Amino acid sequence: MEFNQFKEKAFEAALKNGCDAAELYFVEGDSFSAMVLEQELDSYSVSRERGLNLRVQLAGKNGYAYTESLDAPEALVLRAMDNARAIENEDDHPMQGKCEYRALPKRECRVDAASEREKIELAMALERAVKDQDARVLRVMRCAVGSGSSLTRICNTLGLDAEGEERIAYSYAVPVASAGGQVKDGFAFRVDDGIFDVDGCAKEAVARAVAQLGGAPVPAGEYRILFENLAMGDMLAAFSPMFSADAAQKGLSLLAGKEGEMVAAPCVTILDDPFHAVNPRAFDAEGVPCVTKPVVGGGVLKTLLHNLKTAKKAGIPSTGNGGRAGASAPVGVMPTNFFLKPGTECFDALTAKLGNGLIITDVSGLHAGLNTISGEFSLLASGMLVENGKAVRAVEQITVSGSFLSLMRGVEAVGSDLRFGLPGASCFGSPSVLVSALAVSGK
Amino acid sequence: MIEERIVRNVLAAALETGGDYSELYMEDTEQNNVSMVDGKVENAQYTRRTGAGVRVLRGGKSVYAYSADTGEAALMAAARAAAAALSGAKECEPQAFLVKRSCMETPEKPYSMVDNAARIALLRDAVKAARAYSPEVTQVTAGYLDVDQRVLIATSEGVWAEDRRPRGRVNVNAVAMKDGEAQTGAVSPGRGEGFEQFGNLDMTALGSEAARMAVTMLHAPDCPAGFVPVVIDGGFGGVILHEACVHSLEATSVAKGNSEFCGKLGQKIASDVVTAVDDGTMPGEWGTIHVDDEGMPSQRNVLIENGVLKSYLVDLLGSRLMNHPRTGSARRQGYTFAPTSRMTNTFFAPGTDDEEEMLRTMGEGLFAKAMGGGSVNPLTGEFNFSVREAYWVKDGKIFCPVRGATLVGRGADVLMQIDRIGRDMWMSPGMCGSLSGSVPTNVGQPRIRVRGITVGGKGGAL
Repeated sequence: MEFNQFKEKAFEAALKNGCDAAELYFVEGDSFSAMVLEQELDSYSVSRERGLNLRVQLAGKNGYAYTESLDAPEALVLRAMDNARAIENEDDHPMQGKCEYRALPKRECRVDAASEREKIELAMALERAVKDQDARVLRVMRCAVGSGSSLTRICNTLGLDAEGEERIAYSYAVPVASAGGQVKDGFAFRVDDGIFDVDGCAKEAVARAVAQLGGAPVPAGEYRILFENLAMGDMLAAFSPMFSADAAQKGLSLLAGKEGEMVAAPCVTILDDPFHAVNPRAFDAEGVPCVTKPVVGGGVLKTLLHNLKTAKKAGIPSTGNGGRAGASAPVGVMPTNFFLKPGTECFDALTAKLGNGLIITDVSGLHAGLNTISGEFSLLASGMLVENGKAVRAVEQITVSGSFLSLMRGVEAVGSDLRFGLPGASCFGSPSVLVSALAVSGK
Repeated sequence: MIEERIVRNVLAAALETGGDYSELYMEDTEQNNVSMVDGKVENAQYTRRTGAGVRVLRGGKSVYAYSADTGEAALMAAARAAAAALSGAKECEPQAFLVKRSCMETPEKPYSMVDNAARIALLRDAVKAARAYSPEVTQVTAGYLDVDQRVLIATSEGVWAEDRRPRGRVNVNAVAMKDGEAQTGAVSPGRGEGFEQFGNLDMTALGSEAARMAVTMLHAPDCPAGFVPVVIDGGFGGVILHEACVHSLEATSVAKGNSEFCGKLGQKIASDVVTAVDDGTMPGEWGTIHVDDEGMPSQRNVLIENGVLKSYLVDLLGSRLMNHPRTGSARRQGYTFAPTSRMTNTFFAPGTDDEEEMLRTMGEGLFAKAMGGGSVNPLTGEFNFSVREAYWVKDGKIFCPVRGATLVGRGADVLMQIDRIGRDMWMSPGMCGSLSGSVPTNVGQPRIRVRGITVGGKGGAL
């Protein structure tokens, strides 16, 4: 069955069975990825995906049912209605009606016209470039290229009909470097037309691997810390659920009720900008028009992130942050392009300002060593020891520990080097950030 | 499910360009989720995933194409898309399906016969008990999940295997707050069985346990940092084996030289007391599979015996690259992933040591009673994991609970540092993420002791 036919049958069945409204969230797309090893194609994958999530509203309650085969609209409606009847939460969750969206600039990426063959050639070139960078590179553990496109359509019985397209291309390399019996890997990626920057990507990946050679722990204690941009972006991403109004309303965020209060140092501004070029979008997962806003401005919490349900409860308009963690997930709250606004100082200036302390280039185990409810973290980290404003040696096998809110209050300076991590449904970015003190454990 | 004629045509089309092995994987998975917040049902969802993937191998090269559409035309298109990535002449034909394996047994209480009211009743008891535990418990969330995965794996080597993999799990998360501080406690049991498994579960006890953990941690000082002896309790403590060792024994890492345990078969990699097993055959366990995702029956694999490395975890591709037998370990989250070597139920086998003695004689250190998750870099062996519930030990006695502890180290070091393994082994479920997606795995162990691990935390000396 085609989508439009499925939609008509599903909507008809929903209304006939007494639903107040019904909505379909439909995603279809294709993807390609390839890995090369020793100048040969090592693995290759292509896909055609689709998924359809039905949401019905029955006596003010939402129920969901998801399928990947478009064969039985009435049965799906009954599943969703059964789920709606189970809901006990009394909060109203409205659906978005028909509306207009801001036009996005047309995507102009040279890579969109490249063939699979050309992309695989780029991966081969990347592998060669990585190997040629440095005699300490033993081999390239992973070298890959990929691309994908997807079309999202949200339609409901209130007249909403939103359609958006996303495309992405990426490449990455993981070299293995060795010296003095120690082995380390590095990682660098490029997105969209960045994948033509083969040398830049190779240099960065190798630099990240060799910089760790000679690493050793430092004695446990309090250290001044300079988080490199990507590491800080990873931390911000991991703690971003604290900014969800849904978490706050359920008593699962320490930022609940803190709007208007200082929650960070005055040099900290965090933006949620759906129109940022890293991954622009015009509407959220509920079809609500997206808006750009500061979440933290000059250290003050300006707003939490809302969808239609949390906004109704708070008595304010949605901030356009309805999100779904995948097509099969229910509507929750998610950031769009969420990043710490850059300052003016370059990385070297921040290193000089750090004086004596640690540069953290990588944090591991963010899914486990970090708790968004308590706001606390204790993470495996690696980086460089800095003495008198100069990096003197690599540091490994340490942990950095603290709480996210005291970290944000302890920010002394924000760098100019804003960088985004690999894009997903939300994109997270940060410049490098100098923090007054964190607990470090080592040997 | 699907006609053999169609499958045969798909496998043949996939071999048109010189592949020496082709495989079709078809999946039909139904899932139900219920979540409860503040004692009220917050969300209920039904999910059905259907799709197929075609894989072609040529020596050590792998090609994969998948599609949500499982009609004959879409399957043939996927086979041709996969074949198009190779550029040779046809070398072999698929064999007749002479090896049939069917493990489609219906569970005692299939999830399709369960209604939301029964699912919700389980959660309600747990939430009530957690709330009642202490006025410091400010929020309780709970979740219910059931999954009924049905797969078909047909290969050009003549294997036709079908497997049904029901599993269900509940989780209870308690939040305790005071003076602007919050701490959490969580429990999440689950088994590879139908709804009948929940008949044996004391949901009230689970709710109280989550609350006890959150309240205990709320009154705990921050964990001191340092390199100290650590006793890790049984059950989910086995995550240390999972992260610090067995990920680095997967062909995914070993086949291409990216593991610290490469070339170590027959060598001593752990202290004498250590025997480690991955067993996919244990009836009804969370990580159990009857056949793996390449159609091979699962088996019990002794990985380490008395400290000596005996086996890796190896899928078909790995066996070609490593010249090592397959171990029934090929797994994938679903049709959107090609299979690779993964764990099932992984545990330290029981030893002979006294569980109390290992605390009494440890001096000053950490007792990790409940572990959280972790991760590892198999290349360097560097692992990390978090401790949900920990106690500081002084002079062999529990001194006080401590919060925010993390353990970090290198797998090879830690295995050699294990000096006690207790007698009583049990397992706990988890989800493991790797190249072929997120798969259910059990981790387990008796209580063990490690002479020294780096403990991370933000506290000073106690």
